[in-house]
Amino acid sequence: MGPLAPLEIISGDWNLFLALIIGIAFGFVLEQAGFSSTRKLAGVFYGYDMVVLKVFFTAAVTGMLGLLYLSLFGWIDLNLTYVNPLYLGSTIAGGVIMGVGFIVGGFCPGTSVCAAAIGKIDAMVFVGGIFLGVFLFAELYPLIESFYMSGYLGSPKVFQSLGIRMGVFALLLTLVAVIMFIVAEKVEKFVNKGA
Amino acid sequence: MNPYIAGILLGLVLIASFFVSGRGLGASGAMKSSVVAVVNTVAPDYAAQDAFYSKYVQNGQKPLKAWLVFEVLGVLIGGFLSGAVSGRLKLGIEKGPRITDRRRLILALAGGLLFGFGSQLGRGCTSGSALTGMAILSSAGFLSMMAIFGTGFAVAYFFRKNWI
Amino acid sequence: MNVRNSIFAALIFMALLMAFIPADTILKFKLSPDRMLAEVREDMYMIHPDQVADMIIAKDPSLQLIDLRTPEEYAKFHLEGAYNIPLSRILDKDNLPVFNQDIRVNVLYTNGSTDAQAGWMLLRQLGFKNNYVLQGGLNYWTETILNPEKPSDLQADDEIARYDFRKGASQHFGGAPAPSSSDAAGTAPKPIIKQKKKKAPQGGC
Repeated sequence: MGPLAPLEIISGDWNLFLALIIGIAFGFVLEQAGFSSTRKLAGVFYGYDMVVLKVFFTAAVTGMLGLLYLSLFGWIDLNLTYVNPLYLGSTIAGGVIMGVGFIVGGFCPGTSVCAAAIGKIDAMVFVGGIFLGVFLFAELYPLIESFYMSGYLGSPKVFQSLGIRMGVFALLLTLVAVIMFIVAEKVEKFVNKGA
Repeated sequence: MNPYIAGILLGLVLIASFFVSGRGLGASGAMKSSVVAVVNTVAPDYAAQDAFYSKYVQNGQKPLKAWLVFEVLGVLIGGFLSGAVSGRLKLGIEKGPRITDRRRLILALAGGLLFGFGSQLGRGCTSGSALTGMAILSSAGFLSMMAIFGTGFAVAYFFRKNWI
Repeated sequence: MNVRNSIFAALIFMALLMAFIPADTILKFKLSPDRMLAEVREDMYMIHPDQVADMIIAKDPSLQLIDLRTPEEYAKFHLEGAYNIPLSRILDKDNLPVFNQDIRVNVLYTNGSTDAQAGWMLLRQLGFKNNYVLQGGLNYWTETILNPEKPSDLQADDEIARYDFRKGASQHFGGAPAPSSSDAAGTAPKPIIKQKKKKAPQGGC
């Protein structure tokens, strides 16, 4: 029955150790998927390589369905899982800034670590940039704090915010994802034939 | 590797993460912890009374003894292992065909800076907020995902010279 | 291409199933620890012996007392009209319908209140409402109802009124001697709840 750590079925130290193991699996899969290549990552925005879209949404849908099925079988208590809180202003603003960062730098934090691990110097520089960016945020924090804390809406679930049933949303998301995959493959074919 | 299979495997790792620790994956948090740890080592008094850092160092907490720090160390190892078995270990710079190495590195630094700042503001990055958030069906997760990718598509045109 | 299509089909199929299963079945654990802590701290789930005595005497049909002690203790003494469902059997399939309904008000009691509170928490976790705990259990019941403390003459009117009520109730209930306090928290009017601390998962950045 899970989740193991919040239910104290495993100790805090075991949780940290397993974090390492899970991270290894995460890093391995990311690199195998090709996410250690900045050109592959940027490809989704230009249509020549839609791997990011395929992997990202397949993972999200798999994760979502997996958690729901685990809960159905009574193997996980979803009340004890962390749901990230919604602060309207900062969530959107942060996302926009990260979006620009993605196009400019060609990485996100997870993939940059992956790419740095296989020797990509641009990835290592990107990671260095992240440290600077965090430091900048920390030093500017007093100025940003009120905006950062504004628009708190708790930790709503997306189907609650949309007012539809959970299972229905799960189905809709899955269908939307599959449609996106089919469209993405057509885009890839088109862009790569032309170029 | 077939991207859909990779996606399923990633989804399984995500599920495992929730099952074990009650939380999903992430990355930017580990960088945050590292910065806090450095500041705390260099200037502990400043860290203890600063609005941002104090949250992570009060009561003798060790900022580096965090779940995400261990997870990201794992990502480093896992990425390396994968590169090793697939023959992709190579020191070098990857960039679009029309720019110089120098330009690429400057852009990488800038991109990292934006991501570092943005991930703190957004309380998570693509792994921690968007991907994990979508799996747990949080509104913040979906909003985050739409903001990141939406903005990416919106500004992609202006940076196309760097990639294609 | 075939691998891809079978993956698409599998995902859609699994999502389709999810769409038809009611959310209640998927989310087996109804109450988050935060919400439960809030309810515990509000003390809204406790019912004072005065209230229960009143309901019994007035023959309030919505009241249902549930004795969570062992059958032996139940046989020796139990409150009027109480069912006996030992705490160990509270999750039995046959007993759950008693707790999972919204017609009657179930008041759980034991000698003290620790076990009754444990029972309440279990049922609340399953999402059942309408279950309450007799504040202080039978021990407190005995103190207040069966052997009410005579207030001094200087006490306020409502104290005296309460005493009168309790004296009358005591007559009704036969002023029987107190059962042994086999589970803690006995005589304190506001029993301290020993709650198992579940660490909420950390997350985010």
